[in-house]
Amino acid sequence: MDEKAIDNNEMEARKLEAFRVGAGVLILLAVMTIGEFWIGAVASAWWAPLLSIAVLKAFFVMRDYMHLPRLFAPEEAEE
Amino acid sequence: MTTVTSTLAEYRRRLATNRLGLWLFILSDSFVFGGLYVSRFYLLGTQGRPDVNQFVGFVVTSVLLVSSFFMNRAETAMAHGDRKTFLRGTLTTLILGAVFLLGVVGVEWQIAPFGPGDGTAASLFYTMTGFHAFHVLTGLIFLAVVYRNGRKGLYSPERHWAVEACAVYWHFIDVVWIFCCPALYLIGRPPI
Repeated sequence: MDEKAIDNNEMEARKLEAFRVGAGVLILLAVMTIGEFWIGAVASAWWAPLLSIAVLKAFFVMRDYMHLPRLFAPEEAEE
Repeated sequence: MTTVTSTLAEYRRRLATNRLGLWLFILSDSFVFGGLYVSRFYLLGTQGRPDVNQFVGFVVTSVLLVSSFFMNRAETAMAHGDRKTFLRGTLTTLILGAVFLLGVVGVEWQIAPFGPGDGTAASLFYTMTGFHAFHVLTGLIFLAVVYRNGRKGLYSPERHWAVEACAVYWHFIDVVWIFCCPALYLIGRPPI
């Protein structure tokens, strides 16, 4: 196998891993959203758990979808 | 070759500055939404939440979350040179974003049993959803531009800052809604 083919395979593997992380976050968000609406329907006065779920959801979106850690990466780091 | 390498290094240096600028914009925009959240929670102490349809709230929230997933997929695909998945993901995000906008402005606003002039809580509901809807509209325009440029082949795995900026902006819209949703649809006693 030549060098270019190895690079392509590595890139494909990295892409699939990134897709897997994205899908995992979506599942987490779906479960938390269902939980959120269930709490809202049975106990709308429970603002603390509802806001905690919102904070947790925002954390996952900012970390895995918005790639917040990239902001603190060295300036010329490879993607 | 040296020129290409140094140009790429320069691009990466600028990328770091661009990212910082975008996040500063997001932070400043968050303060505006922060003010709206404070008003909403202040009102919760004096009156219940407006009589909104929780089912519509659940549907539009789900649509926006799924759109974020496809945006992430599109950005990841472009970063790895998969142009076809990038275009498909961007288009799906665009369609889901339009569905969200239609759900809030075309459905929720129409079926709500109150108008913007029916008290402070009702007024704030329209302010928060309307302000967010404007952000969604801006995001849709941004997405359309990125999609058009992507079709023309203007992005590469090494150079796709516009795609990244569009994705971060779209996810920001999602994060804002993540807090709007419980504040407007879930927390507080519904009117009897």
